[in-house]
Amino acid sequence: MKREVVVIGGGPAGLAAAIEAAGLGARVLVIDANARAGGQLFKQIHKFFGSGAHRAGTRGIDIGTALLEEAEKLQVEIWLDSVVVGIFDNKELAIEVGQDSENKEVRMVRAEKLIVACGASENVVRFQGWTLPGVMGAGAAQTMINVNRVLPGKRVLMIGSGNVGLIVSYQLMQAGADVVALVEAAPKIGGYAVHASKITRAGVPIYTRHTVLRAIGKERVEGAIIAEVDERWQPVPGTEKYFEVDAIAIAAGLKPLAEMTMMAGCEMYFDPVQGGWVPIHDRNMESTCPGIYVAGDITGIEEANTALEEGRLAGVAIAEKLGRISPAAAETTKAEIWERLGGLRFGPHGEARMLAKERQIHCFEKRVR
Amino acid sequence: MKSYDAIVIGAGAIGSSVAYHLAKKGMKVAVVERSDLASGTSSGCDASALICDKKPGIDTKLGYESIQLYKKYAQEFSYDFEFHQRGSIYVCESEEELEVARGYAAAEAADGYPMRMMDSYELKEAEPNLAQDLVGGIWTECDSSVTPFRVAFGFIEEGKKLGLEVFPYEEVTEVKMDGGAVSGVVTTGRELRGKYVVNCCGAWAPFVGKMVGLDIPIKPRKGQILVTEKTDLLVKEKIQEFGYMLSKFEDVKYERKVSRRVEEHNVAFVIEPTPAQNMIIGSNRSFDGYDKRNTPGAMKALAERAIRFIPKIKDVNIIRAYAGLRPYSIDHLPIVSAVEGLPGCFIAAGHEGDGICMAPITGYLMSQVITGETPMFDIDRLRFDRFRDEAYLKTVAEAYES
Repeated sequence: MKREVVVIGGGPAGLAAAIEAAGLGARVLVIDANARAGGQLFKQIHKFFGSGAHRAGTRGIDIGTALLEEAEKLQVEIWLDSVVVGIFDNKELAIEVGQDSENKEVRMVRAEKLIVACGASENVVRFQGWTLPGVMGAGAAQTMINVNRVLPGKRVLMIGSGNVGLIVSYQLMQAGADVVALVEAAPKIGGYAVHASKITRAGVPIYTRHTVLRAIGKERVEGAIIAEVDERWQPVPGTEKYFEVDAIAIAAGLKPLAEMTMMAGCEMYFDPVQGGWVPIHDRNMESTCPGIYVAGDITGIEEANTALEEGRLAGVAIAEKLGRISPAAAETTKAEIWERLGGLRFGPHGEARMLAKERQIHCFEKRVR
Repeated sequence: MKSYDAIVIGAGAIGSSVAYHLAKKGMKVAVVERSDLASGTSSGCDASALICDKKPGIDTKLGYESIQLYKKYAQEFSYDFEFHQRGSIYVCESEEELEVARGYAAAEAADGYPMRMMDSYELKEAEPNLAQDLVGGIWTECDSSVTPFRVAFGFIEEGKKLGLEVFPYEEVTEVKMDGGAVSGVVTTGRELRGKYVVNCCGAWAPFVGKMVGLDIPIKPRKGQILVTEKTDLLVKEKIQEFGYMLSKFEDVKYERKVSRRVEEHNVAFVIEPTPAQNMIIGSNRSFDGYDKRNTPGAMKALAERAIRFIPKIKDVNIIRAYAGLRPYSIDHLPIVSAVEGLPGCFIAAGHEGDGICMAPITGYLMSQVITGETPMFDIDRLRFDRFRDEAYLKTVAEAYES
């Protein structure tokens, strides 16, 4: 079968792209692996930061609901529990539909325009015992408490003090878990002070210059040993501390889920600021494979707001290519989006990402020329 | 500039074996590889060392002797390339196929190879998951499996003990000549001097051949493979459909009753268990240039054919697919040869789908050719010169047409 626009991944980037393109008259299919689209938005029960233009003060869960309502109004087709398992010549996709059901089937869909917005996956930290049940990503712990309403453990050790580590620690406490400590290998706390103070006020110690040495347990996690690290990140003997815990959550950053674009043959480049290998793209979010667009975390790890804007950018650019909007009108909209993106990539946390994005686009222009 | 006795171009299964065997002869050897070790066809193939898919005569002889070397090296090498002698089964769909198979097995057995027929009852006993309507097959006792990239690693590691030097990620850009003889190579990283240069570039051998004005008639013949999830293995050893012979050799005349999709993609079913408890399913043959991508049509045809022979596999998930480029030569025989009129230039390439199987014997024979010894058996038919023989080429072409 054929579809005009296919979006892989129904998170903020994918939904925004779908809504933008559908709003301009394109027929759009979104493929999502989960039982509900919305990506990570539905587990973000906290209010977003940023300016008024970026729905600051709005909770992720409410943004997700609004996006789904809009998509439905615009008759965006969404296949849930569906995973793209192959991408072939001419943007032909093999999609496993109903992945967890008895009746799952593989459908072949040819996309005229394709948007890859698969998001990111969590980095892991390897230590002795890291494969024991009870050791999980902080994002997984957050999904368990905020989406599935299941407590991952009664006593939790959090590894990593970036915003994810801080926010998830607080939410674990709100959900009724006891967060026994946060461990951070760097000398300073990684995330915003406002998040950190929330948990230190509640009496949770944050051990900077510390790392986890091992998880202890037979069938599952029963305890953890941490230790101080020296200037060369090596554990200092004699500084070990033991905690009785039944879960260890790891917040060690994210990496782009860019395999799909690699499979399609899009040219990639490596940038630590972006989280690893990312597809290079132009100012329309189009990759080096004509007709394949990318948006959101797979183009470099950022946040939901930038993902939304990148998705809109891809949506407008595609509508323009399909002749649904005049080049002049598209130009105006795209300029507005780039301005908002500039606002998001600003300040001490944004500037490095702004520079990385410029490198990425520069790399594309150089390659294509 | 470093100086060597021999420079081997290409570190796949063939190149690494040639390098190892030359080092074993006491030569100072360098291997130059444009990418990582075993990153071409040696990591795009299946894992077998078989004689059951060879034609009677030198083809089978090469396979058989190679397996004997594998057996020996499995004992000697400190690096484990996962050699297992499990035997293999050829299965026949019809009485007509069985008839051809009988003739084939009889010819091989007459040459002294351990090949014999199985009836349908024995087939069911041996492999209960096979489709119940199969009429019989061939059992080949000596057939074995190895892990291909480990074969290359193994030869390289053992070679290093003998002083072998490896230059990965360096592409040869020029073959140096001095007074009409080969004198070394220039790579993207350096220049190496060498008395002998061996072209072990498989499907890419023609490119290096061109550097010294040779037209090496090797073409990439793509094959695609499906990998199943880790599961209860549905087979105990390598199983192939007898129609495999048909897909490989143009002069074997037999029409299978298969779907258009299977026919169109030239698919013949093969399956094998791996040490990691996945199964790998192959394969097809197509001439698509150097395009190594999988195609949905061929993948479907592979799955369809697998289900025909092992119905239960319908419920097993495929987790991955990959493709490789076989170095096809028109007469299905490799080139293991000096080049007449070009002193110092040697070629070991063109094994089509047999490179893994024949890697040990190819390296062994090539080292004998280079040192001027009499090869362990007559390999006149593997000479590069045969492609300059009009009469021979005509005979080969006629076999295609008849």
